[in-house]
Amino acid sequence: MGNDGEELFKSPLNSKNHSPATQKPEVVDNGRGKTETLFSPRFRSAAEMAGWDEEALLIASLIVEDTPDRHIKQKKRSLLPNLKTPPTNSRRKRRAQRQSSTSLPIAVLDLEDDAPAKEDRGKNLTEPAILEKENKKKLKCESDAQGSSVSSSSSVAIPCMDRLREELSCAICLEICFEPSTTPCGHSFCKKCLRSAADKCGKKCPKCRQLISNGRSCTVNTVLWNTIQLLFPQEIEARKASGASNPREDQQRQSPAERRVVNPPYNVGNRNVELLNSPESENRTQHYRVRINRDNRRRNVNIVRPSSSSETRMSRGGGGEVVRRRNELPGQDEDAALAFRLQRQEFMVVFRGSNNEQLQYRSSLAMARENLRAMATRAASIRSSRGRTNS
Amino acid sequence: MNTSSGGGMAALGGGGRSWSTTSVSASGKRIQREMAELNTDPPPDCFAGPKGDNLYHWVATLIGPHGTPYHGGIFFLDITFPSDYPFKPPKVVFKTRIYHCNVDSAGNVSLDILKDSWSPALTVPKILIALRSIFTSPDTYKPLVPGIAHLYLADKAKHDELAEEWTMRFAK
Repeated sequence: MGNDGEELFKSPLNSKNHSPATQKPEVVDNGRGKTETLFSPRFRSAAEMAGWDEEALLIASLIVEDTPDRHIKQKKRSLLPNLKTPPTNSRRKRRAQRQSSTSLPIAVLDLEDDAPAKEDRGKNLTEPAILEKENKKKLKCESDAQGSSVSSSSSVAIPCMDRLREELSCAICLEICFEPSTTPCGHSFCKKCLRSAADKCGKKCPKCRQLISNGRSCTVNTVLWNTIQLLFPQEIEARKASGASNPREDQQRQSPAERRVVNPPYNVGNRNVELLNSPESENRTQHYRVRINRDNRRRNVNIVRPSSSSETRMSRGGGGEVVRRRNELPGQDEDAALAFRLQRQEFMVVFRGSNNEQLQYRSSLAMARENLRAMATRAASIRSSRGRTNS
Repeated sequence: MNTSSGGGMAALGGGGRSWSTTSVSASGKRIQREMAELNTDPPPDCFAGPKGDNLYHWVATLIGPHGTPYHGGIFFLDITFPSDYPFKPPKVVFKTRIYHCNVDSAGNVSLDILKDSWSPALTVPKILIALRSIFTSPDTYKPLVPGIAHLYLADKAKHDELAEEWTMRFAK
């Protein structure tokens, strides 16, 4: 409020009217009666329309005298458009209204003040996230920040990546936990591994031998699973692909008929992935993966969506479709998981979009998103084209 | 490193390409991982690796630790992984004769983690460390050769002397 008044007073257009006020501040202190004389009736009416009382105007006029530089700068900026208009009374009225009704300058200032703060907060989040990797499964936002920094720099590994890999590995299969399930004693293993362990080695935690209530009822630790997916998208992708290529391993989860439908298109890409998983050709994996995904995407786009739409719309549409399908066909938790991941990715993009300093993350993130989208569209296309065509 | 990883890769490639061996490849993958771990970060005085092309058949060596009658000896072991490894423990057999109350004349080892206390979270390096620890402190409460355990408890000097003699004779 005070700011607005200030601006009005300081503006060169209005200076004529208010010069008495600024020149004789001592009058103000004397009382209300005299203040009436300080302002022209027209200005007063304008001020009234703007919802200012005399007192506010006077206080504003007092402030003008000892405003710090910063405020002056702000004023100048906010008044720039006004300078063009000729100084007529009607205009002035309108201007007063405009300035009062919209607190635009303040809003702008707020944004400016907030933006760096937000960035700082983001940085503060990422740094501890990287430093204390022991706590990585605790906070999702933290993990998100971490994930962004890691997934963006999948080639430029962060220093503690090896330790992270170690920490997030399943003690049973020694690979990155796939759908981790956490025991009551706090140890996490792949859901499948834990289940097998409970079946074959008794209901004890493989790590600490504490009793596990029931290996059958193990649930996925969602936070940990999301974290792992963000940190090691490639491994998880490869593992998913290999899991899909092995119908037998997944048979208990999904009906064989459904599995068979999914299989054929996977095989081509999958063989490459399997082959590339060998340590020798790790550096080539990226290239191949991109190629595979491109292939898949092209195929799927042709089948499902002939018209190429914008990225976000496509992914959103894909997710929606998957969800809708889930209602139609039972037991498609895979699709639901895909949709969920897409949504999260999208959210991450939007969230990060506000910080334009992270532009360099975009390319790799876009690639990761492409991977997911390719998978989603692939799954959707397979399902949708089951009756009509084959890919 | 090169040869062993090459062998492992061939095995994995086989598992990946021929879909019939998928059930084996889970344990194969795990064994491979352990091999890689052993190569990058081996436990002290221990070596282990596949015997030949077969991932499921390993040879391990233990060097008798200082301060024990087994000091200076090199003990060879065979490790055989079951197909449902790591859910079942590997079989460990001493190929080198040793005077120890937990190792019988056939080389069988009585180690709880290789029997009832096995956990799928245990790995070959951990097994080797456990084996090393029975060199320094034999488990006389569950001996495989009760006579040696008796001697150990009754006359440790005599036991150590005999063990040293055996080490000199068989493990050098």
